[in-house]
Amino acid sequence: MSMMAVAEQTETETVAEKKSPGKALWLLAPGVIWMSLFLVLPMLMMVYVSFWTQTTFTIEPTLTLKSWVTFFTSDTYLGALWTTVRIWLIVLVATVLVGYPAALFVGLFVKNKALQTVLLVLCVIPFWTSFLIRVLAWRPMLGKEGAINMILMNLGITDAPIEVLLFSELSVIIGMTQIYCVFMVGPIAFMLGRIDTSIIEAAQDLGAGFWRIFRTIILPLSMPGVVVGAIFVSVMVLGEFATSAALSGRKVNLLGNIIVTQVGSLKWAFAAVAGVVLTILMGAVVAALLRVVDLRKEL
Amino acid sequence: MNASGMKLSLGAYTALFLVFLYGPLVVLAILSFQTGPEGGPQFPIIEWSTYWYKHLFGLTPPSRIAPLPIEQALVRSLGLAVMTMIVSTVLGVTAAQAFRRKFRGSGVVFYLIVLGMMVPGVLVGLGMALVAKTLGIDRHWWSTAFVLHVVYTFPFAFLVMLAIFNRFDPSMEEASWSLGVTPARTFRKVTFPLIFPGVLSAMLFAFTLSYDEFSRTLFASGRDLTLPLAIYGTFSVEVHPNVFAFGVLTTLFSFALLGTYAALMMLSVRRAKRIAIQEEA
Repeated sequence: MSMMAVAEQTETETVAEKKSPGKALWLLAPGVIWMSLFLVLPMLMMVYVSFWTQTTFTIEPTLTLKSWVTFFTSDTYLGALWTTVRIWLIVLVATVLVGYPAALFVGLFVKNKALQTVLLVLCVIPFWTSFLIRVLAWRPMLGKEGAINMILMNLGITDAPIEVLLFSELSVIIGMTQIYCVFMVGPIAFMLGRIDTSIIEAAQDLGAGFWRIFRTIILPLSMPGVVVGAIFVSVMVLGEFATSAALSGRKVNLLGNIIVTQVGSLKWAFAAVAGVVLTILMGAVVAALLRVVDLRKEL
Repeated sequence: MNASGMKLSLGAYTALFLVFLYGPLVVLAILSFQTGPEGGPQFPIIEWSTYWYKHLFGLTPPSRIAPLPIEQALVRSLGLAVMTMIVSTVLGVTAAQAFRRKFRGSGVVFYLIVLGMMVPGVLVGLGMALVAKTLGIDRHWWSTAFVLHVVYTFPFAFLVMLAIFNRFDPSMEEASWSLGVTPARTFRKVTFPLIFPGVLSAMLFAFTLSYDEFSRTLFASGRDLTLPLAIYGTFSVEVHPNVFAFGVLTTLFSFALLGTYAALMMLSVRRAKRIAIQEEA
């Protein structure tokens, strides 16, 4: 999260190096060329191909708006766009709600540095399991004969298994929340850890209750963390297709899933249109989040 | 509301939060010891056994459940991860080295590099597939998928190295240069030992991210499967506990990797301390 700060510091921290200015260019060239050829060019190609003509099995470089018209007149594609926005919003809110209290505890209430580190490491350890395995792990949890239903029935809370838990929109949301909430916890805990505790003590001495302190001191000071976490979570959730493929039983189709199926059936131009729409959506979301908090100023 | 009551309830919540994070993985690990081949991926455990682990290595009599195609996939995934690790670490170190001086357009270059870790795999994967299709290039894990892996991991290596160079005392290098040591030799003898912990971290990042990377590979790797693609293949069919057993094994592999990293890190720290003591003496 301190990337920009780091970049600026390196910019200003001019080392009195004796090398010629041409050296920097040679050091930089490989990376810049690599990114231009294998990141910028593919993205531009995607935009370009979205205007190509789609025939049954292939695409031709005759420019047309047909794929775009198809996208915005088809219920399937518009439905996928709406599903993507809906799931993104729900997961974003869910990760904040689930992650914030944990971050509050780790970042502000745990005074012992060692315990703080242990708790943060505990949050990160699951990332050492393959992403797809973590997604798949929800199947034996949520299924009809899964762990949650078994526990609920043994405790006598429900008589029959709850079927809506797996292969539904709910299972996708639960899975994504678990996988991505750590990206929310990290930045928030980082910002909370930087709060000068004497401010809170002063507020306490002046008789402010916890909620008042939370609303007027803790929450505003942790906002940059929430925004950074929201950017991480948004970018990842909007680009998702594996969790919905594994846990929704094809009921939830995100734009990512549309791209995968269109490529699978060689509809390259449609896939490109969906890709461009997804890119625009993502850019708008990140730009909007950056407007909420001026990160350069806050970090 | 008193602070200690708040602390207690938030602590309890955090414990629940950790259960939420770990629960599915624990359940998965337990179910990997289900008996086979008739035992399914659910409770109750009919009988504890290591059947599915043997199944993974082809040590069980043939049954209706096809073994996971992991043998070849493992070799490809490891090869790809090593290639990615080497290239992205070299690119990361050189690019971060360039960023130690002020230069025009550094902001643009910075964002260009960082974009690589932000753009979702679906998009860049699709773009790469389109480029390959238009140019008539075959897609393989060692060509098109490999370059995309580097696009993804190079920014991580770059940021790690940037942070390292930021805390780096340039007077060490200057001393070396003023004593007439060539820049290449200075880099090898002075700069590199100092930045080694950062290089190690960059390598760890690149290796593990590439080893687990999947959406970029899905579009850009053609027919040959890597490990994550082999697992993705099981999504559409019935899941058997062999996938769970595989999940347990890959997790153990990751921990072994992390252990190696920690050991190397400790060695380098100890070496640095020894040198410091020698200098003092």
